[in-house]
Amino acid sequence: MGGPIPILKVGPNLLTTIHVELTDSIAEVFQQDVLRAIERTGAGGLVIDISVLEEVDTYVARVLADTGRMAALMGTRSVLVGMRPEVAATLVRMGYGMEGVETALDVDRGIARLASLKENR
Amino acid sequence: MAHDASQFSVDERELQSRRAFFELTDDDLRRLAALRPFAERHLDDITEAFYELLLGHLETRRFFPDDATVRRVKAMQRQYFLGLFDGRCDLAYAQNRLRVGAAHERIGMAPKWYIGAYRRYLGLILDRVFEEVGDPVEARAAYQSVQKLVAFDMSLALDSYIDANLQTLGRHQAAIRELSTPVIRVHDQVLLLPLIGTIDSQRAEQVMETVLMRITEEKAEVIIIDIAGVPVVDTEVADHLLKTTAAVRLLGARTILTGITAQVARTIIQLGVDISAMPTRARLADGIELALSIVGKTIAPKAV
Repeated sequence: MGGPIPILKVGPNLLTTIHVELTDSIAEVFQQDVLRAIERTGAGGLVIDISVLEEVDTYVARVLADTGRMAALMGTRSVLVGMRPEVAATLVRMGYGMEGVETALDVDRGIARLASLKENR
Repeated sequence: MAHDASQFSVDERELQSRRAFFELTDDDLRRLAALRPFAERHLDDITEAFYELLLGHLETRRFFPDDATVRRVKAMQRQYFLGLFDGRCDLAYAQNRLRVGAAHERIGMAPKWYIGAYRRYLGLILDRVFEEVGDPVEARAAYQSVQKLVAFDMSLALDSYIDANLQTLGRHQAAIRELSTPVIRVHDQVLLLPLIGTIDSQRAEQVMETVLMRITEEKAEVIIIDIAGVPVVDTEVADHLLKTTAAVRLLGARTILTGITAQVARTIIQLGVDISAMPTRARLADGIELALSIVGKTIAPKAV
């Protein structure tokens, strides 16, 4: 758990708010931290909150999408929440729609989304 | 409405450079101050003669619809006239003169009218100066000073007129932009954007920005985009709509496309555009029903 981004266990889920710029090294540590936290807690869901991020480039977007896919391999559903309008517009303009990644408007709705995904499984 | 006038301002450096170009020296100002008694004597007859021109001309008379307005502007004109003979030309003076242009822009009086009116003004002053100042050399110098300050005033009035005009233009453009993407809140967490008219790239960009902004503001789960009023839906328009849908999805919300006419349905399929990323409906009513069901509500008949 060496990274600067805290990962909290909230009920059956993990919650993490990315509050720093995701550089290469931070991104890698973040990914590892998330996966180890899933291993350790057996959390059913993962909420990644990016409402603080004013910029998300395709590299960061890929790290986030990959993290979700890796979590899925471990049986944990994830949802990306709080993306800012200008970030969404930029990603789409660059042709990066992050298909397959679950999204929600905020943390509360992200948790609700995880619950409904669980029901439908 | 003082905020309009204060938008354009002049600093000390600009003031000095302008005065230098108009050759408006301290000697001129002293000469003007010495004419103050002359100005006070002719205050009323010059003002009256000035308004004779403005009120005698059909196109300028409409700016002065009633007696109260005429009285008000005459009082302002007297202040303005006496201001020429205060013997000062500092920042406060310039600021005061800037208001003239902004005020004319506000009432829609074009520069040609007030430049023409200034001409009458100078003419009136010229006649009286030469009548009363005995020495022709002195009279010419006095008149030159008046002319310099009046030209200086005109330059400021024109600048602020242009600036105010640009701002008006900007406001109109903003209003048009807003009108072209009227996002309406239909219900809790449900927004509606009725698109009307042609969608080009620029408008599509703006549609996307507005939609994303409003979804975030309103915490909306669903946005219905109704394209019944869009005359042509081609590959490009479909592509724009798909991009907006993708961005909306990134925020965690969903898009429903309604107003698909038979013609549009045919075009989309014939063009081979895949718009399966967004649920579509022909009628807006069906789209609203679908949107409500997404947020966990239904429209039910009233129990009798």
